[in-house]
Amino acid sequence: MEYLIHLLILIGIYGILGLSLNLIVGYTGLLSVTQAAFYGIGAYATAILMTALGFNFFSALLIGVLITVLASFLIGFVLSKFRGDYYALGSFGFNIIIFSIFLNWQDLTRGPLGIPGIKRPELFGLNLTSNLSFLILVVIFLILVYLLSRFIINSSFGRALKAIREDEEALQIFGYHTLYYKLAIFVIGAGLAAVAGSLFASYITFVDPSSFTLMESIFILAVIILGGLANLKGSILGAVFMILLPEILRFVGFPNEIAAQMRQVVYGLILIILMLYRPQGLVGEYRL
Amino acid sequence: MDILPQLILNSIIAGAIYSLVALGFNLIYSTAKFFDLGYGVLTAVGGYTVFFLTKSLGANLYFSVIAGLLVAGLVGFVVEKFVYRPLRKRKSSSMTLLVAALGVFTALQALLAILFSSQFQTLSIDSGSSRTFEIFGGVITEVQLIILLVGFIVMLGLAFLLKKTIFGKAVRAISDDEEVSKIVGLNTEKIMGFVFFIGAAIAGLAGILVGFDTGIEPTMGMSLLLKGVIASIIGGIGNIYGGVIGAFLLGFVENFGIWQISGEWKDAIAFGLLIIFLLFRPQGLIKR
Amino acid sequence: MKILETKNLTKHFNGVHAVNNLSVKFESGKITGIIGPNGSGKSTLVNLLSGFISIDEGVVVVSESKSFSKIKPYEISFYGITRTFQNIRLFEQMSVLDNILVVLTERRFLSALFEKHGEYHLKKAEEVLTKVGLWGKRHDLAINLSYGQRKLLEIARAMAMEAEIYLLDEPFAGLFPEMVKIISSVIKELKTKGKTIILIEHNMALIRELSDYVFVMDSGSLLAEGEPNAVLSKREVIEAYLGE
Repeated sequence: MEYLIHLLILIGIYGILGLSLNLIVGYTGLLSVTQAAFYGIGAYATAILMTALGFNFFSALLIGVLITVLASFLIGFVLSKFRGDYYALGSFGFNIIIFSIFLNWQDLTRGPLGIPGIKRPELFGLNLTSNLSFLILVVIFLILVYLLSRFIINSSFGRALKAIREDEEALQIFGYHTLYYKLAIFVIGAGLAAVAGSLFASYITFVDPSSFTLMESIFILAVIILGGLANLKGSILGAVFMILLPEILRFVGFPNEIAAQMRQVVYGLILIILMLYRPQGLVGEYRL
Repeated sequence: MDILPQLILNSIIAGAIYSLVALGFNLIYSTAKFFDLGYGVLTAVGGYTVFFLTKSLGANLYFSVIAGLLVAGLVGFVVEKFVYRPLRKRKSSSMTLLVAALGVFTALQALLAILFSSQFQTLSIDSGSSRTFEIFGGVITEVQLIILLVGFIVMLGLAFLLKKTIFGKAVRAISDDEEVSKIVGLNTEKIMGFVFFIGAAIAGLAGILVGFDTGIEPTMGMSLLLKGVIASIIGGIGNIYGGVIGAFLLGFVENFGIWQISGEWKDAIAFGLLIIFLLFRPQGLIKR
Repeated sequence: MKILETKNLTKHFNGVHAVNNLSVKFESGKITGIIGPNGSGKSTLVNLLSGFISIDEGVVVVSESKSFSKIKPYEISFYGITRTFQNIRLFEQMSVLDNILVVLTERRFLSALFEKHGEYHLKKAEEVLTKVGLWGKRHDLAINLSYGQRKLLEIARAMAMEAEIYLLDEPFAGLFPEMVKIISSVIKELKTKGKTIILIEHNMALIRELSDYVFVMDSGSLLAEGEPNAVLSKREVIEAYLGE
């Protein structure tokens, strides 16, 4: 039971990450592979604020989101100068740069040692130390993020995002200053990823750089590609599959080291097979 | 040992390795027109083939190296045939190909880790005692000298192949316009297969050389690949010499950068350079 | 009244003058046809007028007080200019309805975030889509329409813009007669509303039928101009078309 709760919490966190990236990749067509960086900034900000400065979880989360918004604004602005493949490559670069900062700015992040001892949230004197109560918190956040995403994509703004994805140059002719749109959604997506990061830090009670690598960004990308681009439910469905799928491998009985690698093999194969046979994913509404 | 000559030597050696990766990547990019990120893992495929043959089977070194090239080439060929070719036939976007390539990369890298463990291993036979030479107060090992030599030969060989042979003409025709090449009767599929084979073999070679110089690990591909891609872009993508010049520029910037800052920032420096180039000189040093 | 005029407009690609020192004035409220052989610079001219590509030399005059030699693509609609594309550019993986709504709704991104399309937008969309016979297909993705329907959708989208000046780049190319009829009636209707229309077209019968005035382009320059019937019987015009 405890293990099931653990998996559900992970699904919730990756569901939020999937939603956040789907706004950027699925709806706006910006192939960003740097979501783990924002996830990480949120996680580190929460970790540092809670352990070193004694903030409570919710204010740490809020500040983490703000810091991520600032960072993603700068990164998004630079990336907005690039197109297509170069956009993806540039985003790789930022993931690696941010990862380097986590790893090497030791005064702040303790580098590879990571930051232990992050507390679980407290709410009205209620300490959410049990995993079940944490799960409820994650689900509440997931619902909030889902509703916010739905609000965005159902607005005129959301329609313009899709049009940017389809033909940005043509859309500009019709009077859209598309840069603002791209920046705005990039920043919103990054901020939501930071929420997931805060939850993750507080849940695991420990952060280190290895959770925020380029591979992690590729994993989040795989979540939404499997679930379906430009479909909010798809993001969550993708998280369910990507988290549960490797559990099957566990039952087959591989040793731990191999199981971890097998998981990577499976993720890789999923991406290949999807691109070959079902580029829109399970319930997607957009093909790359 | 003086610091400046050593730095220059290190930069040149790094440049030679990056050149090799860039040469193969550039060749594939200019014909197939997408960022083949799966290409990176082929460096590790080459390295591990040699590792397996020499260490586990005790095979002859030269035979093993040649086998390493062939195996890497073959894997590149097979991936092209069964993943990229069907996608290209369907006129998939370069984003689709990029995601499929990410899948190839993730799956193959993990497969190597399963087969050979994720430990760092060296290919060199007499560990530590290889001959060294002193040039202008800097030290260079025999392996590194060979790297320089091989890099130079491959560059000349590739230039000859592309500029002076019928095959080269066909490759250039395809890079200019694949459709037209098809219409005038070129067997574009066969040629594309060869291009991937050659490019992959060059990647394998780079991996093998790195293996002799420092060592191999399954994850070596990503870092090498990204360096090759960065070198190609800052040099001028689609131009053989551009890639080489970019590689040496990258080698120098990295080595002098880490001298000034610190070794851990190497990847961040490389990507910083890429982002600066993408912003201010996206066509690279040499235009195609 | 909206003005549209070029002064010494020049654009070259790799040393070739696609548009060469061109000064033309388009009459308001009229349909001006632009004809000329392939590669004569017609599409380049439209691309320059709509800010789609950058101007090398010269200016485009859009009102008595405003002319530009450099303009951001998103600013062009402020001057009442809209266009269609020779190679159709729709928002492919969006519904027909969304293709129209997106040019009707709020442009400023913050306001757009808090706006949902309303009755007013839907009514307007229904009006233009009904005119081109696509209202029944409003939920289909643009990518799934036939070639002719795609052409019609592009025209409908331009109409929804409520612009003053319409740049139509070969709107009839490759269409069946019944679709040609729909589009030519749309163009006539725009004219009765006092809009300025610039029409690139190869079909001389349509040019005679629709346009009030014709510019003939060749190698980026103006070869001839005048009333359609007069221009089309000129020798040099016939030669430009048939000579090469």
